[in-house]
Amino acid sequence: MEILIFMLIGVVIGRFCFPRKLKKLNEKMQVFMTMLLIFAMGVMLGRRENLINELTSLGVKSLVFCLVPTILSTIIVYFLTERFFDKDKKEQEGE
Amino acid sequence: MVILAVIALVLGTFYGLSGLEFTLFDYLASHTDYILYATMVLVGISVGLHESIVEQMKKYHLKLLLIPMGIVAGSLIGGVICSFVLNEPMRESLAISGGLGWYSLTGVAIGNLSGAEYGSIAFLSNLMREIISFFVIPVIAVKFNYYTCIAPAGATSEDTTLPMMIRYTDEKTVVFSVLNGVICSACVPAIMSFCYAAF
Repeated sequence: MEILIFMLIGVVIGRFCFPRKLKKLNEKMQVFMTMLLIFAMGVMLGRRENLINELTSLGVKSLVFCLVPTILSTIIVYFLTERFFDKDKKEQEGE
Repeated sequence: MVILAVIALVLGTFYGLSGLEFTLFDYLASHTDYILYATMVLVGISVGLHESIVEQMKKYHLKLLLIPMGIVAGSLIGGVICSFVLNEPMRESLAISGGLGWYSLTGVAIGNLSGAEYGSIAFLSNLMREIISFFVIPVIAVKFNYYTCIAPAGATSEDTTLPMMIRYTDEKTVVFSVLNGVICSACVPAIMSFCYAAF
């Protein structure tokens, strides 16, 4: 919920008082913050005890548990969005 | 972007494994909430600068629910398939696949309810889902459509994978992505409770 609140704060700033000439800087800052987030995720992973042992013993099974649901989700969402959101895809292509 | 993401992940992992302690890095790693909130303000600014986005969103109403519904359905069907293929109990298989990429919650919760091995599988598989999302979002954006980029990300589409949406899709998809993440995040505890109550 906090995430939505912070995003709404940003929307208000962007809508009413953010200088348009700083749009590129804002995008670069987003990339920088993303890298910080991913770096922090890596630190958390590296600090996890038994990470290497877990990966070697349960890695393949975990990969199957990752891939099958992810692929099926992607296929279903693709067909749903092609069926119900098709006009928007054409808009994207037209832009 | 993807290369930068890999470099950041590898550097972070090596730093974590090394046992070194730098105040700044440790502070960053233990305060990811603040980084995420700052990112969300920046994302909000991008959305706010896009003037027609509110009008575009009004067109959708209940259609907004189709994406999270598709993600949950696909993940749970995937869990059923995994249960048969890997010969694992249906309860744990559905709970793991119903994590929708939220590795921190599912790893701990399933570990407490079903033991360390299933907790580790839940953690790793959902973490892999998040990491794989980073790499497939750019491909899906080109080969399929922007909305489908949200599917692999699942519950993480409101936070860690969101910047990839910003980079490779458009402002409207970014808003869909945030709403999807909120809905999926709310679904994960419900799916888990259902699995442990029903099986």
